[in-house]
Amino acid sequence: MASTHVKRAKSGQTFLVLAGLVVVMAIAFLTWNVRNEIEELSSASSDNVQWSLSQSEVEFQEFSGRIRVGADLAGIRRRFDIFYSRINTVSKAQVFEELREDDEFRTTLQNIQNWLDTTVPYIDASDVELTNQIPRLAALVQDIRPDVRTLSNSGLKIFAQNADRQRADVATTLTELALALAALISALGLAVLYLFRLNKKLRRQERSQRQTATRMNTVINTSLDGVIISDDRGHIVEFSPAAEEIFGQRASDVIGHELGAIIVPDHMRAGHDAGMERMRNGGEKRVVGKGRVQLEAKRADGSIFPVELAVQSAVTEDGGIFIAFLRDITQQKADEAELVDARDKAIAGEQSRSEFLATMSHEIRTPLNGLLGNLSLLRDTNLNGKQDTYIRNMETSGRLLLSHVSDVLDITRYDSGKVSANLEPMNVSDLLQDIIDSQISMASNQETTLDWGWDGPAQHWITSDSDRLQHVLLNLIGNAVKFTKRGRVSVTVTWHNDEITFEIEDTGAGIPDDLLDRIFDDFVTGNSAYDREVGGTGLGLSIAKRFVKVLDGEIMVASELGLGSTFRVVVPAKAAPSATKQENLIERRAVIAPLRILVVEDNEINRFVVREMLQADGHEVEEAHDGQQGVDIAAVEKFDLILMDISMPVLDGRSATRQIRQGNGPSSKARIVALTANAMPSEREDFIAQGMNDVLTKPLRKSDLQMVLGHKEHEPLRGATALVDHAHTLETLEVVGAENYPKLLARYSAEVEHFIAWLQSGTRLDRNDIAAEAHKISGNAAIFGATGFREVLVTIEQSAKSGEDAKVMSAIATLPDIWKRRGVSETLCMRLSPCGFDGSFIEPFGV
Amino acid sequence: MFKRLFSCITALGLVIGLVPPVQAAETILTLTSNGEIQTFDRAALEALGTETVETTTIWTEGLQTFVGVSLARLVQEIGVKEGKLLATAINDYTVEIPLSDAVEAGPILALKLNGAEMSVRDKGPLWVIYPYDANADYRTEVIYSRSIWQLDRIEVVQ
Repeated sequence: MASTHVKRAKSGQTFLVLAGLVVVMAIAFLTWNVRNEIEELSSASSDNVQWSLSQSEVEFQEFSGRIRVGADLAGIRRRFDIFYSRINTVSKAQVFEELREDDEFRTTLQNIQNWLDTTVPYIDASDVELTNQIPRLAALVQDIRPDVRTLSNSGLKIFAQNADRQRADVATTLTELALALAALISALGLAVLYLFRLNKKLRRQERSQRQTATRMNTVINTSLDGVIISDDRGHIVEFSPAAEEIFGQRASDVIGHELGAIIVPDHMRAGHDAGMERMRNGGEKRVVGKGRVQLEAKRADGSIFPVELAVQSAVTEDGGIFIAFLRDITQQKADEAELVDARDKAIAGEQSRSEFLATMSHEIRTPLNGLLGNLSLLRDTNLNGKQDTYIRNMETSGRLLLSHVSDVLDITRYDSGKVSANLEPMNVSDLLQDIIDSQISMASNQETTLDWGWDGPAQHWITSDSDRLQHVLLNLIGNAVKFTKRGRVSVTVTWHNDEITFEIEDTGAGIPDDLLDRIFDDFVTGNSAYDREVGGTGLGLSIAKRFVKVLDGEIMVASELGLGSTFRVVVPAKAAPSATKQENLIERRAVIAPLRILVVEDNEINRFVVREMLQADGHEVEEAHDGQQGVDIAAVEKFDLILMDISMPVLDGRSATRQIRQGNGPSSKARIVALTANAMPSEREDFIAQGMNDVLTKPLRKSDLQMVLGHKEHEPLRGATALVDHAHTLETLEVVGAENYPKLLARYSAEVEHFIAWLQSGTRLDRNDIAAEAHKISGNAAIFGATGFREVLVTIEQSAKSGEDAKVMSAIATLPDIWKRRGVSETLCMRLSPCGFDGSFIEPFGV
Repeated sequence: MFKRLFSCITALGLVIGLVPPVQAAETILTLTSNGEIQTFDRAALEALGTETVETTTIWTEGLQTFVGVSLARLVQEIGVKEGKLLATAINDYTVEIPLSDAVEAGPILALKLNGAEMSVRDKGPLWVIYPYDANADYRTEVIYSRSIWQLDRIEVVQ
């Protein structure tokens, strides 16, 4: 827009100049014309033509007047000559040229000339002859007189015409001149008008520019960032107040100086100068127009400080300029550094906390395992009733402690990202039934009904991590039962769109709002009254939440104080093909030939426990105190089995296994079974990959040990219904407390005794009654870890319902035997839970 | 007989427009200064020294060659310093010529035109000629009016 303006202004100027030029030229031309006219008027080219003409008549009169008899002949001749001369002049002189062009004049003149030619002989004749011819001359004079008169008059007429024409020419020229002058004046007027408007516009522009400049100045002066403007040679043009403050310089001192010398640190000068030079030569711009850049700058006192700046270039009429906005970021940098430091410290602190927890947990578990192992051994010795009770109490407390430590370890592991889901086909109905079974007696103790069921079509087999799911559900259901008295706890399962939802609804005390928000946080427990009653580390729900997260699911809670709570767990779970239930319970204790076994374990107590267990079964045991010792011994002796601890000094279990396998020693082909406190599924795979055949988890159970000894592959602990679920029993213990546990057990025993007696009474029993009773008894059996016993009861129930009498009868027949043995183990169970350690009650059923 | 012959020759001379040499002593200019009268015949004037002026005139056609006595020389001859000249022609036409016109390369009293003496019919015997072509100042009405022909008297007045 400005350029069009300028263009228009320029064309206007050009037009004016041209118009002026044309007018001036016209005026010059006209003036020249006028001058010519005037010159012509004043010029003497005409002599006094008119006078000359009229003089010719006068001279003719003078001549004619003398033509008379007796006149002076010389006078006549002289007068004739004068007239002759006059006519001659008129005929020849250039001043009469114009007149001669007139036909009448020319004719008249010719007549006179002819007359003169006629007359001359008379004049030039002798005096006598002339005298004689006087009358003749007089006649001739009379003849020509009218022509002479005409000549003089025609001259007058023509001159008058000429004068008129000349006057008209002058008048025309003057009119033209006047018109040209008028045009010039108009042009000048227009020019004045144009200049006036131009001036007005310029003033308006100037005013708006001044306003813009004022605004810009205000912006620059009030900007918190320093603003520096330099020309393309790097000389400072503007230095804002903020810049003055940042650099400790006064604008008046630095304006006109070289920018580099003022604000660029000495060690960056060379680079700065090279950059300016490069840009002047049209080279690449590395800082200009590149947004925010962080650099170092120099204050007046020479100190260096970090700045953040943005530089932009612009082109003005005076050449290129650079505009820099600068900000002192010393404080920002310091803050950043402080923040980074704080974060590093926090991370380090967090890390050391995790490490500390992991180490502590491990360090606690190791001696605890030793303790529990020894208690297990002690149980096999002869004890009186009191000692038996003490041991039972010690073991209960020990197990509880172990579970707490495991909780902490779970969290630590999760937080350090070591937990991952182990997805495999699992039967969710079985899982739930087991959990419900384990909680049913606790619930009935609280006079609470506990039930579960599918909402919609049942999907028994899904793909999920059954350990994690069990942990989560047991925790939620256990909590619900724990906090519900004389109410109802119901679990609803829904499977939809590859997602399984568990809803645990209770009619318990409810959770206060302030607690609801942080119920999944670590170490959060309910109010102290309940705490005392039910106990807990406050880690249960936080672990549950973590495990749900591992399963890619969600856990939510809704609660109304006094009305109850609902926990909902949603976990992605694809349907899985139903698998044949593994009849682990059938595993029996085969007669195992004595084996040569090497125990590689650094902890002396653990070594002792394992050795005692093995020797009790008649095996020959050799010991190694660390991995290296194990490798050395295995290299020279032949063992059937090597039990290998994982974390050991000198050489750990993995490396030791690798070396034994690669060593080609006598034991290089021996079965190697890992012995570890932390058996994560992923780790298990790793152990197998290292060359191990199996994995055993601490605390070591006799049954597991025996299974490993007797079979090539040991099935993982989960799902073995013959084995009492460790967690169920612990939970029961935890929930009811060690004091109540025996009472509960006694009551249950009475019920079972009654049931067996009823079955054996010989009366004809209704199948439905049998099924109902068996169901009732089996519900409680799980709580006490009597999973094997429960299995038989379930068989009775299902067979009775389906009318398979033979099956019912055979199951009933085995029941008393199982219970009798179980009765014994039950007692032990109370002291050394979990039950099923020795698996003694399993064996008869399995057979 | 002799006389007759003379007459014939004279007549012939007149016819052919020539001034007969016998009239050489004839006064062609009468100069009056301070009551003093001087007369000049053709020879006397030529004796003062002649100049040649080549110029065109408004009364003739083409370049003309005039030979005559310069006015300056004439004025010097009569020794006047002030006043003006009144020049009068045969027909008593009189013009005033200031002394200031009598300058070097100025007007002459022409005796001959193109090598021939001038008869009265040819504006003779004397014709005041300014060098019109040589000087623009001489191409004015005033100068043209001073260019008197058929001159025969000059009077010096104050």
